[in-house]
Amino acid sequence: MNLRHRITLLVGLSFVAITAIGSYSVLESWKNAAEVKTVTEGVVPSALGAADLVAQLKEIQLATATLVTAPDSNIAMQVKDKLIAQKAQLKEGLNQQFQYASGDVQQGLLKQAREGLDDYFTAIDETTQFKLAGQTELAQATLFASVAQYQREMGQVIDTLRIEKNRSKDSAIASLNRNLSSAVTTISVATVMAILALGAFGALLYRRITQPISRMQTMMSEIAASQDFTRRVPVDQMDEIGHSIVAFNSMIARIQESSELLKQKTLDIQTMLQNMPQGILTITDGNRVHPEYSAYLETIFETRNIAGRGMLDLVFSSSSLGADALAQVEAVGGACIGEDVMNFEFNSHLMVGEIEKKMADGRVKILDLSWSPITDEAGTIVRLMLCVRDVTELRKLAAEANAQKQELEIIGEILAVPQEKFHEFIAGSIKFIDENEQILLQNQEQDSAAIAQLFRNMHTIKGNARTYGLQHLTNLVHEAEHTYDRLRKQRPDIAWDHAMLVQELAGVKDLIERYAKINEVSLGRKGPGRRGNVERYLMVDKQQIQQTIQRLEKVNTSNIHELVAARDAVRKSLHLLGTEPIGEVLAGVFESLPALAKELGKEAPIVKIEDNGYVLRSQASSLLKNVFMHLVRNAMDHGLETPAERVGQNKPAIGSISLAMDVSEGMLQIRLGDDGRGLALASIRKLATEKGLIAAADSPSDEEIARQIFRPGFSTADKVTEVSGRGVGMDAVNDFVKRENGRIEIRFLDHAQGADFRQFEIVVSLPESFAEHVDGDEALRIERARQELLMSESGSNSNNEGNPVLQLLKGGLRTV
Amino acid sequence: MAQILVVDDSSTVRNEVGDFLKANGLSVVTAVDGKDGLDKLKAHPSIKLVVSDVNMPNMDGLTMAEKIRNEHKNGAVGIIMLTTENSPAMKERGKAAGIKGWIVKPFNGPVVIGTLKKLVN
Repeated sequence: MNLRHRITLLVGLSFVAITAIGSYSVLESWKNAAEVKTVTEGVVPSALGAADLVAQLKEIQLATATLVTAPDSNIAMQVKDKLIAQKAQLKEGLNQQFQYASGDVQQGLLKQAREGLDDYFTAIDETTQFKLAGQTELAQATLFASVAQYQREMGQVIDTLRIEKNRSKDSAIASLNRNLSSAVTTISVATVMAILALGAFGALLYRRITQPISRMQTMMSEIAASQDFTRRVPVDQMDEIGHSIVAFNSMIARIQESSELLKQKTLDIQTMLQNMPQGILTITDGNRVHPEYSAYLETIFETRNIAGRGMLDLVFSSSSLGADALAQVEAVGGACIGEDVMNFEFNSHLMVGEIEKKMADGRVKILDLSWSPITDEAGTIVRLMLCVRDVTELRKLAAEANAQKQELEIIGEILAVPQEKFHEFIAGSIKFIDENEQILLQNQEQDSAAIAQLFRNMHTIKGNARTYGLQHLTNLVHEAEHTYDRLRKQRPDIAWDHAMLVQELAGVKDLIERYAKINEVSLGRKGPGRRGNVERYLMVDKQQIQQTIQRLEKVNTSNIHELVAARDAVRKSLHLLGTEPIGEVLAGVFESLPALAKELGKEAPIVKIEDNGYVLRSQASSLLKNVFMHLVRNAMDHGLETPAERVGQNKPAIGSISLAMDVSEGMLQIRLGDDGRGLALASIRKLATEKGLIAAADSPSDEEIARQIFRPGFSTADKVTEVSGRGVGMDAVNDFVKRENGRIEIRFLDHAQGADFRQFEIVVSLPESFAEHVDGDEALRIERARQELLMSESGSNSNNEGNPVLQLLKGGLRTV
Repeated sequence: MAQILVVDDSSTVRNEVGDFLKANGLSVVTAVDGKDGLDKLKAHPSIKLVVSDVNMPNMDGLTMAEKIRNEHKNGAVGIIMLTTENSPAMKERGKAAGIKGWIVKPFNGPVVIGTLKKLVN
């Protein structure tokens, strides 16, 4: 049963009790009223009537006696009339008594009285008649005899009736009193019982309502005080309060959930603030730093004194920011916090985005600052948030990348100019600069002739630089020229600032010298135009430089990863600038093998290259192409057999050519070998003897015989083949190599001294400076990058011409 | 058409700000100090926004703002202060006078103009 039912029941019961008690009271009152009416209107008057009867009887007796003793008949007649009236009255009174006669006793007494009355009245009438007839004695006798007799009887009956009536009256009154008192008692008892019962029920209900509520209240207060949302209010019964408690408990459960979520979120934020590699702080009123800030801020500012500190002091002390800009930042902070968010829009442009800040030990950090407002629901700024990033490294990288980019751009510009012209340009420009330096030295003050000359010289340099497309130089020279132009006007709008002019000129000179240096050192184009010394200069493919510049231009400088990747790629390309893997250098040679093999009726051999981590300086490319074109063709023509011949000698049908590169004893050595028939020593000796190169009597060593092939005009071929026997053979090859301070020799690989054919390899040695060693890791990296690029490019761009890095890595460093 | 009242004792600022607002299609009235500003406001009921300097002779910008607020209690006239500094006391007075914004000099026209146009209309 729920509370509503209980309360309804209580009210119902109260209503029933009141109704019952009320009805009973009404009924009792009604009953008692009837009884009172009987008593007051019946019993009591009838008792009084009975008493009256006695009196009336006495009066009649007295009247009769008066009549009898009346002195004359007149008086007797008068008395007689009175007597008749009195008799009627008594009779009437007696008849009335019948009306209220209760019980047989009274009825009997009345009947007896009525009978006695008749006899009595008869006796009186007789007496009266006697008197009226003048028979007074007779009348007196009758009076004393029968009348008196009947009167006594009547008197006795009526008296008895009176007594009886009185008794009946007393009894009725007593009964009435009893009834009244009983009714009062019953009502009182019922009322008291009803009150007790309803009170008990009410108290029970009260307890049932208040107890759980007060328990709930206590528990709620405890939960509120302790914030312990794991606690629950116990549910005793499932009435309204029970349901409320269940609802309260589920609310607490939800609060527990959200409180846990909140805790988790707070923890997350705390963790983030503790661990993010970025400085975040918020600024409260008065430009103070809020106590909650990211831990990394301490690393950036190298202090733990941050919370509550003045933001201006923390961030901008010992910084590059001027006093005025600082005052603006301060004013903006004041203008924003506590104001509408539009104030941030108005003023955020005055917030400083980047500063250089000197640390305690003198290091300078570059800090990137970004500001944002934190607003409440009404759009009022409650705090400003400041994110601080230490971009020192990033800026350094960007500066490096920009310097590299500029250098590459300059290289590109220079390469577009023929060496001789460039040399002339530099020499001429330096002459003009020197002249301007002299002019400035001689003129500390404004001088129109001097300005005119300064302008003319600078204008000439600019014109030339522009003609040759030296853009960086043109831009700088233009600024100097513009300064002179303003000074040479009739009314110059700037003042002659000697120090500034000297500085400006020095800047132009520096850049011209930089161009010259890049031309000489990086490009190895010293002097008016001849190939650079391999020890000092690189030969670079122009296209490669262009592609590297493009790579740098495309880089997103705000993305440090991209920037680093670009820097690495450029560093790699610069490192490998002017070098080529031997496989690339000789690619053309090897690619021609299938066609050559077909011509000779042979199979194209397998080519094995072992570079041992060395790459070739581009200066060697041309030479080695010529040399190895010849040597490889010889190997194909004279060395490798036809497949049929090879199979007959238990060799694989397809021959192989091996090429190995190494540095030993200060020389770059490139060894070429094949698994063909070997060096035809017998044929060489025969031919050399025939040509008179060696005397028939001599017994030269195999090595001496082998060396004969380098003699001018020597050829062992049966006929001059299209392939190798063109007369200018190994002697020319030998010459090429010697010209580069190298040598070419034949090294036997077997010990078959004196045999007709001996296994051998040709070793081409060149100065070590023609080779560059790439360390293993780097070689591996380069190779991997090349593979990746090949794979990524193979789908979209089969010739890979579009990818600068690939071009670079593929060895796009071709001989100029 | 709603107008903007530019109040500044410096003719340079007055002209620069005024010309900029005019160039952006706003109708501008100028005044040289607070007193003049109040007179101009009376003379031109279509002024909906006041952009005012703080430090001026005769009557400073904040006093003018307070007087404007007393006469236009419903805030029908918006007030924006153009300032170089900012103190808590100034802000307190500004808040009481219903000042909507603080623009720290030098102001950034393109950023400010959009908001000003919104406030005027």
